[in-house]
Amino acid sequence: MTAQVLFKNRHPDRIATLAEYRHSGGYEALAKVLADSSRQQVQQVLTDAVLLGRGGAAFPAGVKLSTVAADAPYPRYVVCNADEMEPGTFKDRVLIHADPHQLLEGICLAGFAVDAHEGIIFIRPEYEGAARILEREIALAEKEGLLGQNILGSGFDFDIIVHRSGGRYICGEVTAQLNAIMGRRPNPQQPPPYPTEKGLWDRPTVLQNVETLCCMPHIVRNGADWFKGLARTESGAGTKIFGISGRVRRPGCFELPMGVRLSEIIENHAGGMAEGSRFKACLPGGASTGFLPAEHYDIPMDFESLKQAGNRLGTGAIMVFDHRTCLVGVTLNLMEFFARESCGWCTPCREGLPVIRELLREIEEGRGKPEYVGVLKEMGRHLWNAYCAFAPGAAAPLESLLAHFADEVQEHIERKACPFG
Amino acid sequence: MLPENLKKELQDRIAAVDHPRELVVDVLFALQAHYGFVTDEAVEEAAGLLGMTPMEVDEVATFYTFVYRRPVGKYVIHVCDSVICWLEGGRSLQEYLSQKLSIAPGETTADGLFTLLPVCCIGYCDRAPAMLINKKVYGPLTPETIDQLLDELREAH
Amino acid sequence: MIKLIIDNLRVEVPPGTRVIDAAEQAGIMIPRFCYHPALGAVGACRVCAVQVLEGSCRGIRMSCMIEAEEGMVISTTDEEAVAFRRQVIEWLMANHPHDCPVCDEGGQCLLQDMTVSGGHGRRRLPVKKRTHIDQHLGPLVVHEMNRCIQCYRCVRFYREYAGYTDLGVMGSAGRVYFGRRSDGVLESPFAGNLIDVCPTGVFTDRPSRFKGRYWDFERTPSVCIHCSLGCRVTVNTRYREVVRVEAAHDPQVNGWFICDRGRYGFPYASSPQRPRSARIDGRKSGVDEALDEAARRLSGIAQRHGSGSVALAASGRVCLETLGALTRFGSEKGWRGPFFRAGPRTAEALQSASKNLEEKISISLKDIEKSDFILLVGCDPVNEAPMLALSVRQARRRGAVVALADARSVQLPLDARRLALRPSQLTAALMRFAGKAVADGGAALSDRARGFLQACRDSRVDPAVDEQIDHLGLAARESRRPVVVCGTSAVAPDTPAAAANVARLLAAEGRKAGFFPVLPGANALALGLAGRTADHGAALREALEKGDVRALVVVETNLSELGFSADDPLLENLEALVVCDCLDSAAGRAARVFIPTQTVFEAGGTFVSAEARVREARPAFRGGTPVAQVSGGGHPPRTFSPDIPGADPLPAWQVLAALAREGTRVSADTLRKALPAPLCGAAPGKRLALPASAPDAFQPPEDPATAADGGLEVVVCEHIFGSEPLSRRAACLQELESAPRLGLHPGDAAALQLSAGQRVAVDCGRGVIEGEIEIVNEMARGVLLVPRLRGIDWHAAADGPLVVAVADIRSVKPNGES
Ligand SMILES: Cc1cc2nc3c(=O)[nH]c(=O)nc-3n(C[C@H](O)[C@H](O)[C@H](O)COP(=O)(O)O)c2cc1C
Ligand code: SF4
Ligand code: FES
Repeated sequence: MTAQVLFKNRHPDRIATLAEYRHSGGYEALAKVLADSSRQQVQQVLTDAVLLGRGGAAFPAGVKLSTVAADAPYPRYVVCNADEMEPGTFKDRVLIHADPHQLLEGICLAGFAVDAHEGIIFIRPEYEGAARILEREIALAEKEGLLGQNILGSGFDFDIIVHRSGGRYICGEVTAQLNAIMGRRPNPQQPPPYPTEKGLWDRPTVLQNVETLCCMPHIVRNGADWFKGLARTESGAGTKIFGISGRVRRPGCFELPMGVRLSEIIENHAGGMAEGSRFKACLPGGASTGFLPAEHYDIPMDFESLKQAGNRLGTGAIMVFDHRTCLVGVTLNLMEFFARESCGWCTPCREGLPVIRELLREIEEGRGKPEYVGVLKEMGRHLWNAYCAFAPGAAAPLESLLAHFADEVQEHIERKACPFG
Repeated sequence: MLPENLKKELQDRIAAVDHPRELVVDVLFALQAHYGFVTDEAVEEAAGLLGMTPMEVDEVATFYTFVYRRPVGKYVIHVCDSVICWLEGGRSLQEYLSQKLSIAPGETTADGLFTLLPVCCIGYCDRAPAMLINKKVYGPLTPETIDQLLDELREAH
Repeated sequence: MIKLIIDNLRVEVPPGTRVIDAAEQAGIMIPRFCYHPALGAVGACRVCAVQVLEGSCRGIRMSCMIEAEEGMVISTTDEEAVAFRRQVIEWLMANHPHDCPVCDEGGQCLLQDMTVSGGHGRRRLPVKKRTHIDQHLGPLVVHEMNRCIQCYRCVRFYREYAGYTDLGVMGSAGRVYFGRRSDGVLESPFAGNLIDVCPTGVFTDRPSRFKGRYWDFERTPSVCIHCSLGCRVTVNTRYREVVRVEAAHDPQVNGWFICDRGRYGFPYASSPQRPRSARIDGRKSGVDEALDEAARRLSGIAQRHGSGSVALAASGRVCLETLGALTRFGSEKGWRGPFFRAGPRTAEALQSASKNLEEKISISLKDIEKSDFILLVGCDPVNEAPMLALSVRQARRRGAVVALADARSVQLPLDARRLALRPSQLTAALMRFAGKAVADGGAALSDRARGFLQACRDSRVDPAVDEQIDHLGLAARESRRPVVVCGTSAVAPDTPAAAANVARLLAAEGRKAGFFPVLPGANALALGLAGRTADHGAALREALEKGDVRALVVVETNLSELGFSADDPLLENLEALVVCDCLDSAAGRAARVFIPTQTVFEAGGTFVSAEARVREARPAFRGGTPVAQVSGGGHPPRTFSPDIPGADPLPAWQVLAALAREGTRVSADTLRKALPAPLCGAAPGKRLALPASAPDAFQPPEDPATAADGGLEVVVCEHIFGSEPLSRRAACLQELESAPRLGLHPGDAAALQLSAGQRVAVDCGRGVIEGEIEIVNEMARGVLLVPRLRGIDWHAAADGPLVVAVADIRSVKPNGES
């Protein structure tokens, strides 16, 4: 078993208690910071630790926090993105269920780092269970003086509330999420201004993913070098929660060093490929990453290596497909998802995705024409000019299908049927 | 008409926040729980409570998957149709449900008990194929577990 | 200035210019759907993509979302940009119905243009088109959602720009739907702009539905004459009929939009009831014969009783040429008048508004948009000068403070601070406000100004409101560009002058302060500048009673505007009533000699708007009965003749020339020159050369506060639909008229023991007004609101805020008995 940091207190059948969390060193980071650190020191250690955002975009968290100007107006907000609606992704849910106080401490630390006094956990409706856990644990933490007014006698106030979403994938996107919280239609809003300058109610707002925030207490407590040392590769830092699903024997969430090889995750942790299955490809980081073909079976799973391979680590949600899986079908299913969840603001996404879906359906159902391949390629390329990152996300699986599995697509068209039946 | 106690409860919650609009989804969920779905009247009531115009509330209400602007059954079955569940046979399970309940996706059974709504990934890919019934998760599913579940719910009724 | 290169052309633009606009200045029209200069950039449609070759954001970018930078190099013809734009069109067309042959937008459809110019012609996509259910949105606008390309312009105009709340966008993804929550009449009186704003045919014009296409129409630049703002419009005519009016762009005045009164007010011009032939003593005659006969009778009367026994009457809807004719021939012949407005109060208010407009404080609607403090006094923008409301809203959106002092419960599409005051309190309130808003007046104040400021400081209104006024005054201290907007119908006669003086005081402090009057009629400012205060309806009444006036020539005027009812017994004292009008009015029917005149669409004409801007309407067609109304409506006509049927009417100024026996060949130019300065120098598009300083500047009002003891001050309220004499004839607008009710404050109603819905008769001395009571919160106490709507005999109170004693109000049964 490799070092367990975020999953240290994870139990298969229950939630870690506040006492357990504190026993394992929980809230020490907060106490330390409140006692003798400055905002800048917290920002610095996170920057030095190269903590890259775990929500998909891999933006350095320390840098983001430091963009809130010292003289920025109040109130300031921290938003925890627990929307997690991308197909294949479920790590944030597991993290909350495993050790909720780790997240609460992380949010509070981020709050301290930007001198915010309110944290908002934005959570999808499917995670009602997690929302209730969080509300319960927030109350507990408040009772013990770990949240709320005058935390640990330091004079620092910080409240956390749980904000329930009505449920739409686009709400995971930063600016759409802020609109959602403000009770507006959750259309994204192109910066500038950036949320760290003008976010919720035009006030500075820092938004981070659940896992990113969960890393913070550990970094603050153990230092940047320790965190970097957790990774298997030079280019990586820390551990990563990999949620693995699809054609493997034991789907689930595993905390592993950043840079662990894909093959190792599948074979050692997910119990290997499912009965009678051979690895064909995977989506390495959620539905908006590209198909990673078998030639990369041994790739080190960190942000940099996947970038080198022309792909993305995204959220680290690995979806494994075997030799019997029709990737045209998979892509069609993904396009179904993207087309349905688009916010409807810009043309490429709102109009392009349904058209792409229909072309793929034609191909999958044996009515494809040879010229559709070119049309799909063109459209995939044009998705990149959408208003926000949603449509480019949808382009990733589509374009990689056409690039790496052109034969499979061709076979559908020639046979006038799906070769996988 | 909203019962006084519910109205009071919502008014208190709204009075406690700086920006009432922040609570629009919560208020809609509360009204949905009361009326069964978000009726036109509920949109107007929510608007009144939150200091928004009915149009502004409807613009939000019609956006979300879990806000129902049309009548639904007592149990709303959100069956996942995204990639991992699909891979694990989700499609045939959905067909099985349709056939068991004699309704097409999007419809409600004649007895008003069940509504079947295919939705995108519900975040339980490790339990695929999965579904939610009134936001409670079930999975991995088989025709047998579905039979059992439906029977239990019918009986509970 | 910023220099950049677009498609190898050097372009220079001010900082902050968007690339899409910079290109347009260089003559390169980058495609756009969602971008609209008035609504801003939102980057939704993605059709304005260009390649940024040099600059801080290289690559494919939306030209509406990026600002021009020094040294930027842009290519609009770049292969990838062109390919992407073509793709956007293909995607949009995938769902757009191919119903151009039956779509009224055809020919002026941005989507059509872009589809053709973008090179998308062949359908390669095997997708079913999405469909929606349309809504019924009322008598003006047709809704066809299937044509929607989701540019969000409609909601951005309707909600953000105009401030109405009943149109929105619902749903998400490919299911977004633009409409109301349910079928129903659009609540905004600016809804017609949806038609212009929508780049395709989702919102089209209902009254002109299927009457022709863009290319079928003769399109003529014109001016709207349905209020005093003078918005620029384009008139579309076909088959001798005005078919549609659209907003025309005027950056200083109406921007890109107009109101629905202006857009739909035109049908009077082609009404089947419109009088097209002359009448002598009730018998139809040729126009020449009638002119002859009228001239003969007038000169006979003049000979018998003196030339002063012939009087002229006019209204705010006569053009500058006609006003010139009235002035010139009137003085040549020694005729009296022209008389206009009902009585001394309204005449004085108009005069004081017009004559106080001077160069330094005169501002445009555009200036109002940029102001940071707006005080509206005795004016109801939406109902009296609709586009003013949108200008005020734009200022409010930019953070301006808006306050309004009025007797009515004025509804605005924005939030404003309110002072409910009786007309008689307004002057004192304005002055008290100025006393607080002006810090020290600066050293530069003249003695007169100082005196006025002192009077302001001494001004008291009512202990109940003084504090509120003071607050407002203090709030205005910070403002850099304060504006006072003042009406003329719900005010005291000296209020407009006081408003101008307040603006002058603020300007004297070195601020960019402005005064903007709201006047009764498209050419009311000209009437105010040209006419004499003494010539009003009440004076005419007196002259008639005394027998001093024996003949009356009524030019394009409804007698009600002079405070007369059509069956007024006094009119029987006349030996000759000559009416020249394009409307079928009660006066026209009572006339001994009636002479039909042309409308602005046929004659054209010049008008001077409330902000002293000279507006020109060109003749849009030659006149005549619409083809649809002759020979059974068939086209081409089944009968042929050398003349245009129904083309007898002449321009009113020619009629006047003929009555004065000057021949009809008089030129419009000479007539304008007959007017006093500054009107004689009126040049289209320019502003009048206003005096640098008004003669009566800083004249403190004689007796500012006159309280209404125990009575109610009567305020005649204009409504956007149903009040203005031309537009109230449009059937489509009649559907939108409010019910005519007499408004009372809840407190007054309670004191009078009246309740909502009860019928009362109010004796105004000159006549009795009867109607149902409506309880109006937010209005001032001590006031009775009388709507200027059909079904109410409002002209009995037409001379502004007269006071009725409580004893004169009695409850009546629906059939009129006490
Ligand atoms: C369409 C879309 C959906 C997204 N959904 C999520 C999400 O569910 N959770 C999340 O943490 N980030 C999501 N992101 C990424 C966020 O925009 C953002 O980058 C992230 O939450 C920032 O936090 P981090 O820096 O800690 O990763 C999404 C982005 C896009 C474009
Ligand atoms: S790409 Fe466009 S339509 Fe899609 S989610 Fe982003 S803004 Fe909305
Ligand atoms: S005009 Fe620029 S995106 Fe629509």
